[in-house]
Amino acid sequence: MISLQGVTYSYPGTSSPALRDLSLEIPRGQFCAVIGPNGAGKTTLAYILAGFIPHFYHGSLQGEVNVEGKNAATMPQRELLRLVGLILQNPFNQISGTKVTVQDEIAFGLENLGIPREEMVARVAAAMELVGVSELAERSPLGLSGGQMQRVAIASVLVMQPAILVLDEPTSQLDPVGSREVFQAVREMASSGQMTVIMIEHKVEWVAAFADRAIALVDGALLADGEPRHVLAIDTVWRAGVGQTRYTLAARRLQELGKWQDGKRLPVTLDEATLTFKAFQKRR
Amino acid sequence: MADIRRNFTTITIVLIPVAIAINIAVGQLIYAAKIPLYLDTIGTILVGVLAGPWAGALTGLVSNLVWGLSGLNVTYAPFAAVAAIIGLLAGLFAEARWLRSWWKAILAGLITGLVAAAISAPISAYVWGGVTGSGTDVIVAMFRGFGLGVLPSTFAQGISSDPLDKAISFLLVWLIVRALPMRFLARFPGASKTTD
Amino acid sequence: MAEVFGLYKQRASFIHGLHPLTKLAVSGFFLLAGLSLPGMWSTYLLVIFGLLPLAFLSRLLLELVSRTGRIVLPFMISVFLIQGILWSGGTPLIEVGPISFKQEGVQFAIASSGRILIVVGSFLWFALTTRPDQLMLALAERGLPSSLSYLIVSSIQIVPRFQARANTILDAQRSRGLEIAGSIFQRARAVLPLVAPLILSSLIDVEERALAIEVRGFNYPGPKTSYREIAQAAWEPMLQRFLLLAMAGTLILSIVLRLVS
Repeated sequence: MISLQGVTYSYPGTSSPALRDLSLEIPRGQFCAVIGPNGAGKTTLAYILAGFIPHFYHGSLQGEVNVEGKNAATMPQRELLRLVGLILQNPFNQISGTKVTVQDEIAFGLENLGIPREEMVARVAAAMELVGVSELAERSPLGLSGGQMQRVAIASVLVMQPAILVLDEPTSQLDPVGSREVFQAVREMASSGQMTVIMIEHKVEWVAAFADRAIALVDGALLADGEPRHVLAIDTVWRAGVGQTRYTLAARRLQELGKWQDGKRLPVTLDEATLTFKAFQKRR
Repeated sequence: MADIRRNFTTITIVLIPVAIAINIAVGQLIYAAKIPLYLDTIGTILVGVLAGPWAGALTGLVSNLVWGLSGLNVTYAPFAAVAAIIGLLAGLFAEARWLRSWWKAILAGLITGLVAAAISAPISAYVWGGVTGSGTDVIVAMFRGFGLGVLPSTFAQGISSDPLDKAISFLLVWLIVRALPMRFLARFPGASKTTD
Repeated sequence: MAEVFGLYKQRASFIHGLHPLTKLAVSGFFLLAGLSLPGMWSTYLLVIFGLLPLAFLSRLLLELVSRTGRIVLPFMISVFLIQGILWSGGTPLIEVGPISFKQEGVQFAIASSGRILIVVGSFLWFALTTRPDQLMLALAERGLPSSLSYLIVSSIQIVPRFQARANTILDAQRSRGLEIAGSIFQRARAVLPLVAPLILSSLIDVEERALAIEVRGFNYPGPKTSYREIAQAAWEPMLQRFLLLAMAGTLILSIVLRLVS
């Protein structure tokens, strides 16, 4: 459970806030996607949830951030890091460089937490299985492809079993196969009810297919919040520079041509598109 | 001198391996281009300037061990102490605010180069017989021919290259610090002493 | 894999299975004895009766000899030529035309060459047979701060990535027609402008790398555990202690020998 109440934040030395008066509640076990154009404050939100704002980046933070019922700004960071896991964009930067095999790399966080060896072995194996890197266990983490490296990075954080997983554009360096694997793994984790997932993502088609909820940010403020198929159909969201799925795009073309029934909701997912376009065809 | 523990925040600990990689990558680039400089302590100087003398010293020390352990240049390992002193001096010069102006940075580099040559000479004379196994040995040979002893000749060879090399390195670091974003600099204790 | 491991060469040898600290103590002993013992030939005895048999047992004899040779030979040639010939006021030993090798110079060269050999040889033997991560693990067990082991191992591992980046830049310059040739100043003008961008682009990574290890509890208080266990035979700690004593003994012996002579 995460709750933000009136959160406004400015980086040190900047005058315009990166986030403006943001209020949100994300219940446990939800897979929540954060969408928005560059500079909308998505990464800032991720850093606030992980406690890097205000612990690492100073600046001025107003409002209240609660993670699992505790104030994230005042909670010691060591406590927060057991609650919130963070995955960053660049896979290479997330590989610690201190380990020579993938399994050792994944165990790095557990070593730091002081987990006993037998438990580590089991947890590392489970995490590798979950993101599909078991066959890479003995490879050097720095010798992998970008996609493989990112999956290792995800496993390295998952293995610490955080209650909340925050992913900052984790698929930006992955091919479609790799992206699907990440989305599926994340979907499963959220569905099992063990983990709340907040994923910053540009690939709206995947968001529409997998996420429970989409939050659209523009200029640091909340623009829309709800089920992805609702949020992604909203005109202002699309105009703000958030991508749209190819189904919505097709419907918008029809709208421009004046062939769309006024007020009818635009389809976002494949299923919706199939239904709507079938009806469309029939009507003609 | 700043407190040792304040020199080592997480970001400094992460900066050091990157600085070492910079030492090696730039050093090899210069070597590949056959430019008669080393420029293989820029990372060390940068850490000294940004994160303080102790962090600089550690960077120099580890850097030379890594040159050896990675098999790139084993002959650097015995000079680890010299590299440590270069990093230490860079930190001290930055604390004394010498990295604020370009000409003081050059002066700091010249002094550091002199000190480096002075400490390298006995190590080089004892461990390597006073030679480097490279082109610069012509200089050693010349001074030996003039009748200078092993140690003075080795020192003369060092004097002929180290001060110039370190002056250019310090100047480059002065430039780099100015090109770094404020948000990045603000992470390091030494930043306030290098910018106006 | 070899690329990110530094010098380490995997072999099925008894030596490779030894505890890293045992090997560290052995090479430390060679290093200290080689640098401190007086006499022209003592280092050669250490090489012949110590280092070479160990390299053979490590199944790396040829590897060690060729690697050491490549590094040491230029030094040896330089030192024999420069110090042998240009030793001022020495006793002529061999005369070749107008030049002569002086006895004192040749003796100095022999002693220096021996020291070069033992320093390079024992360092290389250690690096060839010991995985850096295992060395750090062993040192961490003895109380080395985790931040220091992070420094050393991650340096060794990320260096090849940055070298690759430097090469990419160099190649890009070449393909843009910028000649890395010509006079010193032309070459400097081609390369020096590349240095600052290379450094700046590398520094950009630092912040994200710091966040990434923080997320994984790098600064988490309390004792850390380790995923790997390093095997150590029962006799190894004894050997390590013996080698430490031997180092102290050799140091004292060297001082005494030098005082007596």
